[in-house]
Amino acid sequence: MWAGRVDEGYVFGGLSAGCVETLKGVPMLLESADVRVRERLLPETCTDGDDEEHWRRHAVPELERLFASRAQLVRRDLAGLRKLGKSDTQLLLIPNQHVNAWLAALNAARLALYVLNDLKASHLEADGFAAATAKQQEAILRIHVLAEVQSVLLGDYEIESGGPMESLDPDRIDLDGDLDDLDDVTRPDPE
Amino acid sequence: MSARAATKEATETKTAPKTSLAPPWNVIVHDDPVTLMTYVTKVFMQVFGYPQERAHRLMMEVHKSGRSVVWTGAREQAELYVQKLQAHHLLTSLEVVDA
Repeated sequence: MWAGRVDEGYVFGGLSAGCVETLKGVPMLLESADVRVRERLLPETCTDGDDEEHWRRHAVPELERLFASRAQLVRRDLAGLRKLGKSDTQLLLIPNQHVNAWLAALNAARLALYVLNDLKASHLEADGFAAATAKQQEAILRIHVLAEVQSVLLGDYEIESGGPMESLDPDRIDLDGDLDDLDDVTRPDPE
Repeated sequence: MSARAATKEATETKTAPKTSLAPPWNVIVHDDPVTLMTYVTKVFMQVFGYPQERAHRLMMEVHKSGRSVVWTGAREQAELYVQKLQAHHLLTSLEVVDA
């Protein structure tokens, strides 16, 4: 996977089938009805029962509406995924005005994958991967892929601007590193 | 107690306010192992308008201590902040400050 900057936003290219599948899972995870995901994305907020009830009645419905509209927006951007030249990989544009929505949606998806796969903090550490089951390992990899996208949008990597999107010719992109190759970049620590 | 002191006490009792001020509320952010540190800092800057240095310091407090009181004040505003933080999926809670 590589990332580039164009006038319209961020371009992610070299997306393998696995990366595309992971990204397409983002809106679904955000809208998941699974109780574990709901409990994490809409957590118990007040210690007092009456206060919590007040919170559930007034604040939670607004948050649910926000998550739903964010999922729609991410889904729309994902509908714009296209094949990258002659290769089997795909290219995604995240428009500048959608960056905040994507950042939050990616965070939600990572949290959802974490709770749905019974992961623990130790699993995300360097030596924790081996201790995970095959299903958990797949979830960890997806969590890391989404973290890479998030890190680019957060500006954790230096990316040169490449002008307007229309000037980006996928057939002319050197997949060996013309644009920043994320495989070589150290991943930031999780909070 | 002298008569003078007793009169003073009575006056003070008479003029004491009948209503007490509502207690302040804490907005608390809890640590989670998934959310990126830079993301937490960005959210603090965005939601509270904190400068990067303060936002980073609070994020590190969450990371090291497991939780941090990121804002204290009136309940309505505290609720608004918690809602904004939860909109970004930070693990957040509200608690009234003990007198």
